Amino acid sequence: MSARSPRGSFSGDQNLADDFEESLQDLTQNNRLEISNLTLIAKESTEFAQDISKVLEKHIKSTAPTRKLPALYVLDSIVKNVGTPYTVYLSRGLYSTFMEAYTQVDSNTRRSMEAMLKTWKEPVPGSIDPRPVFPPDIVQPIENALMKAKMVVLQNQRTVQPLYRNTPTPPQYGNQPVPNLEYAQNRHYPQFNAQQQMMQQQQHIPQYQAQPSGSVYRQSPAVQPGNDVESIKTETALLISRMQGQFAMNPQDQNLRTKLQALLQLQDVLKVQSLEPSELQQIKSQISLLSIAPIPTPTPPPAASTQYWQPPVPLPQSNPSTQSFMPYSTPQPVVPPPSILAPGTLESLQALLANGQKPSTPQLRNAAPALQNASHAQLNTVAATPVMNSNDLIAALTKNNLLANLPNSTPAPPASNPPAAPPSHQSTASLLESLKGFLPPLTPSNTPSQTMSGRQAKIPMTAASLKEFRPELVRSLYDGQPNQCSNCGRRFLASDEGRTKKGRHLDWHFRTNQRMADSSVSRGQHRNWFVEEMEWIRLAEFDPSTTTAEDAAANAAGNKPQKRTQDSFVRAPPGMTKNTCSICYEEMKSSYAEELEDWVFTNAVMYGNPPRIVHATCAEEIKKSTHQPGSVPGLGGSLATVLAAAGNNNGRRSRSATPDSTLGKRKAESILAGLSARLKTDQ
Amino acid sequence: MALPGLSLPGLGLQLNTPTPLLGGQPSSAPQAIRQEDVPPQAEWRFEAGFGKPFTVKLLGGHAEFFGVELAPNQTYDFSGRKGAIFSWQGCRLEVSGDAESEYVGRETEYAIEWLNVHGMLESARDDSREGPRVLVVGPDHVGKSSLVRSLAGWGVKVGRTPTVVNLDPKEGLLAPPSSLTATTVGSQLDVENGYGISGISGPTVTPVKTPLVYHFPHASPLDKSDVYKALVTRMALSVTNKLEEDAQAKQSGIIIDTSGSLNDPRSNYDIINHIISEFSITLVLCLGSERLYNDLNRRFTTSKVGDESIPVLRISKPGGAVERDASFMKQMTQQQIRQYFFGTSKEPLNPHSHSIPYTDLNVLRAKSAASEPGPENPYGGGLDDDDEDDIPYANKPVKITGILYEKSPPGATLTGSLMAVKYCPGSSNEETVRDSTVMGFVYVAEVDDTRKKIRFLAPHPQRWGDRALVWGPWPEAIADLVV
Repeated sequence: MSARSPRGSFSGDQNLADDFEESLQDLTQNNRLEISNLTLIAKESTEFAQDISKVLEKHIKSTAPTRKLPALYVLDSIVKNVGTPYTVYLSRGLYSTFMEAYTQVDSNTRRSMEAMLKTWKEPVPGSIDPRPVFPPDIVQPIENALMKAKMVVLQNQRTVQPLYRNTPTPPQYGNQPVPNLEYAQNRHYPQFNAQQQMMQQQQHIPQYQAQPSGSVYRQSPAVQPGNDVESIKTETALLISRMQGQFAMNPQDQNLRTKLQALLQLQDVLKVQSLEPSELQQIKSQISLLSIAPIPTPTPPPAASTQYWQPPVPLPQSNPSTQSFMPYSTPQPVVPPPSILAPGTLESLQALLANGQKPSTPQLRNAAPALQNASHAQLNTVAATPVMNSNDLIAALTKNNLLANLPNSTPAPPASNPPAAPPSHQSTASLLESLKGFLPPLTPSNTPSQTMSGRQAKIPMTAASLKEFRPELVRSLYDGQPNQCSNCGRRFLASDEGRTKKGRHLDWHFRTNQRMADSSVSRGQHRNWFVEEMEWIRLAEFDPSTTTAEDAAANAAGNKPQKRTQDSFVRAPPGMTKNTCSICYEEMKSSYAEELEDWVFTNAVMYGNPPRIVHATCAEEIKKSTHQPGSVPGLGGSLATVLAAAGNNNGRRSRSATPDSTLGKRKAESILAGLSARLKTDQ
Repeated sequence: MALPGLSLPGLGLQLNTPTPLLGGQPSSAPQAIRQEDVPPQAEWRFEAGFGKPFTVKLLGGHAEFFGVELAPNQTYDFSGRKGAIFSWQGCRLEVSGDAESEYVGRETEYAIEWLNVHGMLESARDDSREGPRVLVVGPDHVGKSSLVRSLAGWGVKVGRTPTVVNLDPKEGLLAPPSSLTATTVGSQLDVENGYGISGISGPTVTPVKTPLVYHFPHASPLDKSDVYKALVTRMALSVTNKLEEDAQAKQSGIIIDTSGSLNDPRSNYDIINHIISEFSITLVLCLGSERLYNDLNRRFTTSKVGDESIPVLRISKPGGAVERDASFMKQMTQQQIRQYFFGTSKEPLNPHSHSIPYTDLNVLRAKSAASEPGPENPYGGGLDDDDEDDIPYANKPVKITGILYEKSPPGATLTGSLMAVKYCPGSSNEETVRDSTVMGFVYVAEVDDTRKKIRFLAPHPQRWGDRALVWGPWPEAIADLVV
């Protein structure tokens, strides 16, 4: 309490809200006194009701899950004891405030929240005002959402475990504004955090609530078709919007037009049909390949084509993510549904698509016989019949694939499928075909920066090239990286790599915010000394928010022949700042590691059974002295052995000059805090 | 150690006020919250005073603040800033608070030029593993720093790690004024707070940046151009070395911000020439001054002497660039110094207080060109202490020749000044002191002449031993830093 931050020394007159916020941050548990005190403050400062409400909402959203309930009780107390204007201000964001909190807390807290919600439907106890605390139209949506969530939970208990748990990246939300609950996808947090694990187990619930029809399952191959279709739709919409941008730049580009038409039709097909999972998968893989593709901009655009933002107009679409990416959608004639494709052929198709550039791979050969048969038999029908079946699809694809083999072959649409053909004459098959046509070669040497900046026309350093507006530059900064972090505005590519990075980035935010919300950590910070010349020169610049700590540490250590023993570290379990090494019984203190952005025990390893944190050097000594690294008795085992080893260790220490454990320890502990407790050593 | 600030005047006051919530001190009525629609390729310009809340929230569309994109629905505090939120696509903003002026500016041709410069840099980066080295020059208040930040911000956004060099001692970059810094920017910049924050002991809103800091305690490079040039040479050496270590940084190139006073035809742009040759500049961007552009263009583009010509481009000054008057600049200087010790509201820091006896101090004062080199002790007031002070210094091997720096006897005159703690010991020779990088800055909070002690405000709990403390005419003493 005494360590109040000094910022008040120069802040202006927004102190009240700030101080309210600070007091909120001190509220760690359901403390009646503190809550009524906060309520009193709110009551006496109704002229700042808006600021206070904002601060309160923000706090509920940002604070650690364990502190959400007390904060919500403050809200509850204010609306019941003070009423207007707080009810007005708070009711606006009540849904999101409540729901976001609800998704992040444990089940006990949820029950309390539900109980609280119930009281909001009733008049304030003891009041003569018969109206409920919040009007029904505010509370009802929350109740509905909770109901839905419970249903989903029930359903989920019956079905298998959430599938995306096996996926390499946390699920992404695409481009819609992301609620905070995304933080629940934290994967790199220390494994000791029980609360964290609990949240991970519950994470399917929040997602269902936040976006019942969402694209969260984009990563997982075989989930409920409904979700999958949605995700494909979203991606398609995204692609279309990109294409439209390009098309606006090059209206004379027939090729582009074909692609765009094909995509738009695909979108319609998706809207009206139910497709088989495998079929969906195939479309999906193609779409996602397309969306990774850099935007080719062959000619300078004649006109500005950046998609301008329009003030929001209510659109009849239900999916929020498509909304923002579909400035317009051309009405398309409904395409008759094609027959369902046979699963076998589709597999080979998929293989084909996956190896689009290498048709000589075994997959192709396996797939080839069936395809070849079909192609000869059906090629004519491609031209003739308006409605095509699955064989036609394969045939057309094969043909196209062969075409794509020719060097420098432009993906000209096959003669059977002229670009100007009326849309109704096309089906999924031809759509896929034309889509495939503009898949760029996926060269493995695509470095991230190249992909990010896109392949833009070279701009010479001359005064003449300064004046002309180049929308592609804007695109490379905005639409080219559609995957935006809702916290800091940072953007990521829509590729797998971008998604991975964003996942890490969100984890970083989560860790940071959690530590900031923890007043024991966020108070009493100080600035570090600046670095010295040589240190700066050797400092490898990396973004801690997108590089995992382990990667960074590995990179940093990569140059060295071997990791030194005292360089090993263990992330400090939350709340643990001190530890006694069970080998030498000396105290270990956690320190803050810049690179990892986390508290660690330096010169430490997990050792023994059950594993405990001990000095790395001590563990090393024990291993050496017992000569049986695998079966060293742990701490649960024979204490005598350990003590003997430690004694041995002591004797050794005095004799040997080289890997001296004491020295190692001292070194790790005494690194000047200002020169930062770097885990990599200076060469 | 935990509460070193307790004994500081003013700070203690704050610490003792538990909850000034009921005081009701905010006098102004709650500011009207208003929504502003910014059409495509226009910008929302504002001049917000210090100490008055002024916040902006992006409700729809996209917007950026000098190269850094605003996240949707996040509230950004721009108090004490003069700037413009630009939108390529159009956007809707929610603005609250008072500003001295605010309006939608539509004359934004400059933005297209700036973006094209970014495109040029990207082309150059794609073409070669040796990235572009850009120098931005022009008079004061024409948007040089904004251009540099935009180029850095866009570069970072497309995955580059440009190295930003600030050669303007008036405005610090990730460090207080009087510092010249070099920073390789590998992570996102902060929307509100320039480039973000240098390393602190706790969590930060944006990933930390690591500047390399040199010290030039004069307001204008011309005040001591030989020292300035020596520092430029030294920085170029460090930066070049760093880029050799880091291929990605090398490809991303260097962007150099300069002081407006380099625009000095009388010296035949001596310092600009020096920077161009030391950093092997490949592109010069000239803002605001037509004469400067013509002079440089004549020299570097059409020169027949040098085998390689350096393109010099004339860049439009943003329509919103406004004169920042002396009092605004002074407040900004103070704010930068304050933020160095106390952090921002999002990243509050606790400075530490160190009381150090005179005898343990190595205080050097940087001489300015104006100050007469003659007298040993320019401070008459310090004469009384001469006997005591001479003893400690006499014990040390003094190699200072007295041309660049002079011993500064501790005394009341030091109060309120900002001193740089150099990495070198105080007994080093002048060149070493000059070229040595800065470990940190300390503020002289109080000089106790009876107990022969100085109380410093330092960013870090660790003391600095016998390292040299250097101060100079810039920045001027601040009386109320800890009030």
